Amino acid sequence: MLTEGVSLIDSRSDRVVMEPNKTYWNPDRKPTVRIIYDNVIGKTEGIKSVAAGDGRVDVVFDLTPDEAHAFPASEHGKIQTKKAKTILTGVFNENRPDSPWRNPEARRALNLAIDREFVLHQGAHGYGTVIPAFIQPGRYGADPEMKPFPHDPEAAKSALEAAGIGGRELVFVASPAWEGVVAAIGQCLAKIGLGCRFVSAKEEPPEEFDVKLEWYFDWTPQYPVACVHREFFGKDATLRQGPEDPDFDALYDKLLHTPHEPQQEEVVRAVERYLQDQAKALFLYAPYTLFAVSDRVAFTPYDTCMSELAETRIKG
Amino acid sequence: MDAHATGDPVGGQPFGPHNTVTVVDPSPVNWLSITWNTMEEANRVDHDGIGQPSLAESWRWLDSETLELTMRQAVYQDGEPFNAGMFKLGFDKVQEWTNPHPPGAFLNFARDVTCEVVDDRTVRMRFPGGDSAALMKLRGMHLPSIRFWDEWGFVDPKTGSAEGHW
Repeated sequence: MLTEGVSLIDSRSDRVVMEPNKTYWNPDRKPTVRIIYDNVIGKTEGIKSVAAGDGRVDVVFDLTPDEAHAFPASEHGKIQTKKAKTILTGVFNENRPDSPWRNPEARRALNLAIDREFVLHQGAHGYGTVIPAFIQPGRYGADPEMKPFPHDPEAAKSALEAAGIGGRELVFVASPAWEGVVAAIGQCLAKIGLGCRFVSAKEEPPEEFDVKLEWYFDWTPQYPVACVHREFFGKDATLRQGPEDPDFDALYDKLLHTPHEPQQEEVVRAVERYLQDQAKALFLYAPYTLFAVSDRVAFTPYDTCMSELAETRIKG
Repeated sequence: MDAHATGDPVGGQPFGPHNTVTVVDPSPVNWLSITWNTMEEANRVDHDGIGQPSLAESWRWLDSETLELTMRQAVYQDGEPFNAGMFKLGFDKVQEWTNPHPPGAFLNFARDVTCEVVDDRTVRMRFPGGDSAALMKLRGMHLPSIRFWDEWGFVDPKTGSAEGHW
């Protein structure tokens, strides 16, 4: 029950207060605590507060891998992880008609150049799971037969040279949170004679960038293609960096007209296979969501990445 | 140090500092988390990422175009009862706008989708041509009380519009 403050797309009050609804119908989700979103203290101070146990902050959301890794040993709080429905993936810049990345063989070759486990551990302290495309194994729509692209630098090198990309410096645009990931990608690329330059997504990206890293999440009730895949490749995609893809659109339309299971999930699997067959993206891994959590709180994170707090309790 | 010095609200609320959890959420979609913490929909997604019934306790496709939902018996925190009519009201309100959802038009119901109250607990939605995304869209169709619609609603007071503001 919201009793104070607002949180809008473009503005937030200094704090938002929610009181428990004592008459809520669902005993499993009946809130027991007042929740305060503190929009003043900031993430860095919030993390310090949890570690120090000074009582100002109990949970901090959306830590970067570096922030989680740097969290000090503390008797007052800890880092909590969640294998949420997320992806970190590279979008190829196919905007120019003569972009080399319009060639699926070039996209596939760059995928072969990446040692994903190395990138995950070197670039993100291991906070994540390597996945074949956009859906984690075991989730709705995952194809159990699909495996991540192998790391095959020799095949990658020859295919990239054949595509006219050999010896180049590739430009990666990414949030500063993923600078370590780009550095690890750069180490992979160096082994096949390619350079790698990080450009912060906070700056105006150069027109000639090669790959843009995007983090995204699935909040849907088992309908990931509309939320995630469509956002990257659909007609109305906001993250697409190239022309429309009629083959993807046809699969999406088929999904929209397949209301019953198990047929619907089979279409989702077909979409996943299409993404990998066409090497539609530079597939990386599913990042964990990372939280700093005070020991006084039993915090229940959500796979949707939403800060839903109905089940969060104070211990004891 | 005074516990929750920055987070303990004034005003004699029934829950004291010992029952307050203070969080910092820098996510750009914090507005959506607040909405889903304070509103309810026909269905939801649990902490394991699985769809679950919520204010609708069940649903079934009667044919490829007709979805029937059975509403739960529940009351809002102000005592107003929830029923099938409240679901229909939420649907009618969202359909007043062309693009009400911030994430995008993929959450819109088509203009020819209809919603019929069958009885106090049952509604039938008809999707001409079919729409397998219906349950995903219902996750974003909030079902607040009459008081919410009368006193607040989703209309941005600055623009007078609820487009992109749901």
